[in-house]
Amino acid sequence: MRTSRAVSVALLAALATASVAACSSDSTESSSTGGSETVAACEPSGEDVVNLSFTSWIPGIEDAVAKWNEQNPDIQVAVQTGPNGNSGTYQNFFNQLKAGNAPDLGQIEYDALASFRVQGGLQNIGGCDVVQEAQPEFIDWTWDQVSFGEEGNAYAIPQDTGPMALFYRADLFEEAGIAVPVTWDEYAEAAEKIDAEGGKITNFSTADINQFAGFAWQNGASWFEADDEGWTVNITGAETEEVGAYWQDLIERDLVASYPAWTDEWNNAYNSSEVWTWVSAVWGANTIQDGAPDTAGNWAVAPMPQWDSAAPASGNWGGSSIAVFTGTDYPYEAAKFATWLNTSEESLTILADTANIYPATLDGINLPTLQSGVDFYGGQVIWDVFAQAANQVPANFTWGPTMTDTYASISDGFKQVVTGNSTVSEALTAGEESTVSTMNSQSIPVKE
Amino acid sequence: MSSSIPMNRTRKRQGFLAVFILPFGLLFTLFYILPILYAMWQSTRVVERDGTFGAAREVFGGLTQYQNVFSNTEFWESIGRVLMFGAVQVPVMLGLALLLALLLDSPLVKGRRFFRLAYFAPYAVPGVIAAIMWGFLFSPNLSPFDWVMTNVDFMSPTLVLWAIAIVVTWVYTGYNMIIIYSSLLAIPQDIFEAARLDGAGQVRIAWSIKIPLVVPSLVLTTIFSIIGTLQLLTEPQVFKTFSTAVNSTYTPNLAVYAASSIPDYSLAAAMSVVLAVATFILSFSVLKFTQRKAD
Repeated sequence: MRTSRAVSVALLAALATASVAACSSDSTESSSTGGSETVAACEPSGEDVVNLSFTSWIPGIEDAVAKWNEQNPDIQVAVQTGPNGNSGTYQNFFNQLKAGNAPDLGQIEYDALASFRVQGGLQNIGGCDVVQEAQPEFIDWTWDQVSFGEEGNAYAIPQDTGPMALFYRADLFEEAGIAVPVTWDEYAEAAEKIDAEGGKITNFSTADINQFAGFAWQNGASWFEADDEGWTVNITGAETEEVGAYWQDLIERDLVASYPAWTDEWNNAYNSSEVWTWVSAVWGANTIQDGAPDTAGNWAVAPMPQWDSAAPASGNWGGSSIAVFTGTDYPYEAAKFATWLNTSEESLTILADTANIYPATLDGINLPTLQSGVDFYGGQVIWDVFAQAANQVPANFTWGPTMTDTYASISDGFKQVVTGNSTVSEALTAGEESTVSTMNSQSIPVKE
Repeated sequence: MSSSIPMNRTRKRQGFLAVFILPFGLLFTLFYILPILYAMWQSTRVVERDGTFGAAREVFGGLTQYQNVFSNTEFWESIGRVLMFGAVQVPVMLGLALLLALLLDSPLVKGRRFFRLAYFAPYAVPGVIAAIMWGFLFSPNLSPFDWVMTNVDFMSPTLVLWAIAIVVTWVYTGYNMIIIYSSLLAIPQDIFEAARLDGAGQVRIAWSIKIPLVVPSLVLTTIFSIIGTLQLLTEPQVFKTFSTAVNSTYTPNLAVYAASSIPDYSLAAAMSVVLAVATFILSFSVLKFTQRKAD
């Protein structure tokens, strides 16, 4: 007995050392290839049939991919869908990149692009002729997001944007004789009147920090800046603090609800007419339709309330791109598919119909499917409001390289705010501190 | 000559043993030992890069990540939180499990098989489903017991930890009961006979004979429960979406998860190693303490 135990221990030890050695040699290899910074040559692979893998969470994207596969027998794309980015797909991407088995293409929102780039996960497809040809078709600020403002580089192809507007219960506003607010001041006044009617003007989400960023974006804030020397973090700038103080006031006066967003309770608050408005992005049109079916026909869309009605601006919440991951053997074919997916009328029509994807192309606004009224919104052609908003989004907003952590720490702070244990301003300060220390731990240079 | 025959036999037996151990040994190494060693190795790495978007390089960083873990207040707060949770929830759960096991074992109870299954059934419900279900029950707007929930907010910062405790207790009481119950069944019947001849009633038998004899299985379930408590993940993860009181570092495993989604795998690995060591020390102390008491 004793000898056999000794044998097995020795065996284990041998196996273990061998595998540790294997691990370490593996990782040096992957870290040296990770993050190609120069524009790589982008040539067709020359193979007869190229098979690409693609991960996304957009409902109905399978239909667009099926259309592509039908038309391109030599480049076949297999699509896999999962939960949306921050709910798990990004974590999967990071894990797959570390393990060296990432798909060829992936759906990535603009706010997460920098995070993937600093991890060396994005292939620079700026050298592909298909990409260069497509660039002029996109709205300028979306191209800035995928090129990080660098001439000739492209780390993804923009798919859609999330211009924000005010979704509101037209019927309730009319019955109560409250004017639809045009400025944020009027919005706060309306909040008081709605509170007197026994409702709440909106729900303050502690989970959607990108929505709050959209509010700050509208007010001209930029949370990050990157140049050759490093990053500047400015989550507590005057523009953001102004927005923060505004919501702090509404929360303190108990004029907004604070249901945990994206839960049945939250849906119920809208469906039961307790909450009257939602300042959200174009894709939110789907969310209300699904979550509050009993209120069909009673909603309408107006432009986002303004800080300065003389200089109208709009925020942006979400919007995503299709990136090609490093490690793909077929950058050219992948870029070709991504470009088709996000520029061709047939693909954009499918995506607009099934997922209320609002195209990032200049021409996308003219898609026939975006010209018709929507029954849920009393037949209003809601797209017109978003088309106007899309043109009013300030171009200079930059996302940071560790947004997962930034969102998590601000969200933790906001959770304290709605229970009355903290303030929005304190949450933003804590978020900035956490962001800087996480960037330091990742050796990402931060300028003071 | 005479000694070579037993030698051969031993060698043969060792060969057989190796064959039988191999499948277990291989899987155990692949999915248990290696990941642990990998985590320990990963925890010694730090990231280096040049420039704003410079490529990341992993280099040896010694104990840097452990320094980060020890200076991470959220992580230690989360450990304190689960220790408080365990100090209350584990005794309550095991007390209930013991009581149920004793009831099942007493000759007074009818429908033993049905109750055994009924108590055990919650353990068969997947953790996520159980947490979501209880989340609905606790919601002031959606709960069928809304008259309770509007008065007592189980999702508030003061109560949410105990709401999680209720879910965990509901799921695991039956499981622990089965372990205790099977050790009750293993007690020889002649002891009870002797007790009855001495005039002991059912309560007296339970208190003076059954409980002392199932102490080893109580120790076992305590250690399982301590490990489970320190590794709480599913329930707080689900409650995080329902409650504004559960943050991203509410339990140690949630903190590990948050670190790995940055992605900061080295910090997550260091946290995991510290958590494993803490779990080991705690379980081992409980074992030592109870053994000394038994002596």
